[in-house]
Amino acid sequence: MSLNLERIEALAPDQASLASARKLLKPSKWPTLAEGEGLVWGECQGSGATPYRVVVNEADAGYKCTCPSRKFPCKHSLALMWMRADRSTSFAAAPVPDWVKDWLSRRRGTSSAASKTEDEDQPKSRPSIRLTEMPEAGADADPKAEQRAAAARERNRLEREAAVLAGLEDLDTWLSDQVQHGMASFVAQTAQVCRTIGQRLVDAKASGLAGRLDALPTRLFTLQGPARPAAAIRELGQIHLISQAYRRVPVLPELLAADAKQAMGWSVTREALLSDPDALRVDAKWRVFAVISEAQPDRLRRVETWLWRQSGANGMPQCAVLIDFVPISTGAAVGGYLVGDQIDAELIFYRSTIPLRAQITTLKRGAEQINEPLTLPDETLIVSYGKYERALAQLPWLGTFPVTFRSASARRHGEQLYLHDDEGEFSLPLHTSQTTHALPLASVGPIDGIGLWNGYDFTLAWAETELGRWLRS
Amino acid sequence: MVALVNWTTLHTKVLPSLLAGTSRHPLPGELIRISDPSSDGALEMLSLMGQALRLERPLTPDSFIVELEIKDERKILADGLRRPLIRLLTAKNATEHPARALARAFDRLRLRPHPFDLPLIDAFVRSNAERLGPTAQHWVDRQKPDAGTQSHFDPELLDESNWAQATLSRRVAYLEQRRREDADAARVLVESTWAHEDADARFRLLQVFQTRLSTADQSFLSTLEKDRAPRVRALAMKFLARLGAGGENPALRGCLERIKQSQSGLLRKRTVLQLELPANVKDQAASRWILQAFAEVSFSELAGAFQLTEKELIETSAKDEPLLLALAFISTSERHLDLLELVVEHLPNSWERMFESGLDTLGTMTESERQRWEEIIVHPYRKDLPTIYSLWDWLHRMTDAEAPPSVMSIALKTKLSVKVPEGERGTAPWLEVIAAICPAPQRHELREQLAEFDQSQTVIPLALLDILDGMENDRTHV
Repeated sequence: MSLNLERIEALAPDQASLASARKLLKPSKWPTLAEGEGLVWGECQGSGATPYRVVVNEADAGYKCTCPSRKFPCKHSLALMWMRADRSTSFAAAPVPDWVKDWLSRRRGTSSAASKTEDEDQPKSRPSIRLTEMPEAGADADPKAEQRAAAARERNRLEREAAVLAGLEDLDTWLSDQVQHGMASFVAQTAQVCRTIGQRLVDAKASGLAGRLDALPTRLFTLQGPARPAAAIRELGQIHLISQAYRRVPVLPELLAADAKQAMGWSVTREALLSDPDALRVDAKWRVFAVISEAQPDRLRRVETWLWRQSGANGMPQCAVLIDFVPISTGAAVGGYLVGDQIDAELIFYRSTIPLRAQITTLKRGAEQINEPLTLPDETLIVSYGKYERALAQLPWLGTFPVTFRSASARRHGEQLYLHDDEGEFSLPLHTSQTTHALPLASVGPIDGIGLWNGYDFTLAWAETELGRWLRS
Repeated sequence: MVALVNWTTLHTKVLPSLLAGTSRHPLPGELIRISDPSSDGALEMLSLMGQALRLERPLTPDSFIVELEIKDERKILADGLRRPLIRLLTAKNATEHPARALARAFDRLRLRPHPFDLPLIDAFVRSNAERLGPTAQHWVDRQKPDAGTQSHFDPELLDESNWAQATLSRRVAYLEQRRREDADAARVLVESTWAHEDADARFRLLQVFQTRLSTADQSFLSTLEKDRAPRVRALAMKFLARLGAGGENPALRGCLERIKQSQSGLLRKRTVLQLELPANVKDQAASRWILQAFAEVSFSELAGAFQLTEKELIETSAKDEPLLLALAFISTSERHLDLLELVVEHLPNSWERMFESGLDTLGTMTESERQRWEEIIVHPYRKDLPTIYSLWDWLHRMTDAEAPPSVMSIALKTKLSVKVPEGERGTAPWLEVIAAICPAPQRHELREQLAEFDQSQTVIPLALLDILDGMENDRTHV
C-alpha cells in the first residue's frame, strides 16, 4: 500500500501536526532525502544541535524519527510521508544505511497506525491537509507587545542576577562549613549535604552549579575509596572558582566571562547564537567520532555528538560537540548521528575560551558513512595531553576534552585498563565501563585514535589498529 | 588573596588541612596574605589545591600484565558481515537457532569473529567458544584462575602428536574417526590422557568406544569399574555387557520382565512381542519411561534374549507401539540407522514420540549420521508436515546440523506460507528454525517463500540467510 494524502491525514495525531509538517515541506530543510527497498529516509534540521533522522516504510507506513516529540507520528515523519505522497520532491536512490537497518531489525511488528482502515469510524475532527493551507491568525508582530516582552525579559534577568548572587553567598557559607569539617567527613555524607545546597542553588536560579552539586555524589562514588577526598577538593574547589569568576564577570576577559555565565547556568538560545555576529563559525567536513548519551537527574537525557574536523585551515577548532537534551520518556537513547558519519556543515561555536560546544547552522549534505580514518595529528598521547593541560590553565573548570594519540597501547594493571604511551612513560586510565569492551585492544600492537578525558578517566572513542578499527559504540 | 606556595608546600601543608578539616588542622596562616579581610582564605586555598590536583598527571602503574599471544589460524570474518552479525546475535526475542547455525558456519568454514566484536556478542561466544577458535576460547576462559596457563592452540589438522591440544569436541571427533580407521590406536590415545581428563571429558571420550567395540577393549573397560564418575562407570558396564564380559545386565532383566511373548496366526504361527507399561505410566510419561527403562539395553542382547535376529525383533514388535519406541531409542543410541529405518516403517510418529520422551542427545553420531537420522524420522511426515515450533526446535537441537536436502525439500514443497495456519503464521521462531537448518542450495527457494510473510516476521530469518551466504561466499575474510 503506497503512501497517499488521505492516509497521512488518517495518521496525523492532530491538525497542528499537519500544519507543522507543512512548514517542513521545503527540500532545503532536508539535506538528505533517499529511497531504497521500499523505504524512504531523510535528515531534517530541527531546533536541536543535530539534525533529526527520519525513516518511513512505504508498505505499512511504519516510521521512526529521532526527534524528542511526543506526538506520533511527529511532524518530521508526516512531512517525509507528505513529500513522498505528493511526488513533489525527488528522492535519491541509495543503499539502505546502517541506521535504517538498525531500526528495521528492532521493529516488533507493523505500525499500529497502519492497521487503520477507511472503514473505521473517523474521528470527528480529523486532521485535514486542506486546512493547513489557510494562513495562521495573528502572524503579524505587535511592536508594543514586543517592547513589553523585552522589558519583562530585562526585569527577569535582573531578578535572576540578584537571586544568583544571593545563592552564591549561601554557597560560600556552605563551602566554608565543608572545609572546616574536612573532606573525609564530606565524602562520608556527600549525597545528604549536597542535596540541600543543590536545591538552594536551583531556587537561586544557579542551575549550572546546582547540576554540578547534584552530580557530585555520583562522580565521587565512581572512584576508588582512597581517591574520593582528593576528588572532593577538586570538585568543591572548582565550584568555588566558578562562583568567584561569576562575581567578577564585568572585569573578566569576554570569553572567560561567557564561560563563567554558562557554568552558572545562563543558557544561550539557538536564535541568540545564530544572531551573534562575533560567534566563531567554521565551515568544514566533520566526522562523528563519539556519541555519548547520559541520563540526568532532571529526567532529561543529554546526548553529546563529538565531531572531528577533517578539512579546513589550521587555527580553527579541531573538535566540536553538539549537545541535545531529550526527555528520557521518549526513549531516544542516542542522537541522530552514528559514529563514522561525515557531515559537510558550518558550525557555530558558543563563546568560550576553549570553544567546543557548537550548533549546526548549515548542513550542505546529509551525513554519510565513510570508511576513511580520522585525520589525526601526528602526536603521541603525552604531547596531546599537554594540550589539555594548557586548555585547563586557560579555562580552570574545563570539562571533557578530546585527546588524540599515535602509537599508544592498551595495557592492563589488575582489572584496570590503561592507554599507555611507551615513549613518554605516561598512561591514562580507561573508564571502568570500557574494561570489557576495550580489552581486545590489549592484544594488538600500537594503536592510533582519539578519546575523551574528563580529568579522572579516559573514554576511548576510536582506535585504528592492525586488526582494523575499534569503536566505542 | 595571595598564596605563597609551591607544589610541595601545597601537598604537605595545605592538603592535610583540607582533608582533616581546618577546625582541627588550621591552614598555615603564614602562607596566605589576605587582601580581603572578610575572607580567611580557606576557600581560596580550596580552589588552589583543587586546581593543583587537577593539573597533576595521572599515575602510571609500575608494571602491566603481559598478554598471552594466542595463535589462531582461522580467518577473521569479513568486515561487511560484522555489523549484521552483531545485529542478529543481539536482536531481542530471537531464538537460539540463528546462533547455532552461525556457530556451525564459523566452525565449518574455519572462520572466527573479529576480536573486537567478542565483547559485543559475549553470550554467543560463551555458548559456542569451542566452535569459534582459540581467540574466542581464550576470551571465555580469561576470567578463570588458570587462564594464564591454559593453552588455546587449536590446530587445523589433528594427528597423534597434537590431538590432545585441541578442544574436547574436536578431540572426540578426531577419536571417532580414528576408531573407524584403527580402533586399537584410538584406544591407546585415550589411555594416554585418561588420567588427566575431567569427568565430562572421560564420558565423552568413552562414548567413542561404541564404534568398533571389541574384546580388545575389554581390559581397558574393566579398569573403569571403579571410575569416580557414575556415568563413566555405567557406560563402561554397558560396553562390557555387550561384550559378554560384564555379567548379567540388570536393566535387560527388568525390561524382559515387562515384555510378553505370544504366538499369533492361524496357519503360520508368528511370535508377537508386547511391552507392558507400568499401570501408573500413561500418555506422554510413557515415552519418558520407555527411554529411561531401555537406556542401558543393547539391541543385540535384547534380540538374543528372545533368540531372534535384530530384524526379526523389529518384525515381532511391529504391532506394539511402546516396544517399537524402545527399539527406536536403542537403534538411535547405537547408531544403527538401518534398524531405525525399519522401526520407523512401523512407527511413523516416531518424531513426536521421541520428542515427548525428552531424548536430548544423539550421542556420538557424526554429522552425516545425524542428518540421516533426521531424514528417517521426518520421512513419514512428508505428506503432512507438522509446523509446531517445539518439534522443529527439538529437532534442530538434537541434530545441531543443517537439514538434509530431502527434508528441506519436504518443508519447501508444503509451501510454508500456505501450510502454516493463520494464527501461527506470525510465529517468527518457526521461521528462524527453518532458516537455520536450510542448506545453502535451497536458500533461494526459501527466500521466495519468506517473501509471502509479514516483513516484521522475516527480518531475522532473512538476515541469517544473508550472513550465511556472505560467510560462504565473501572472499574478504582476513
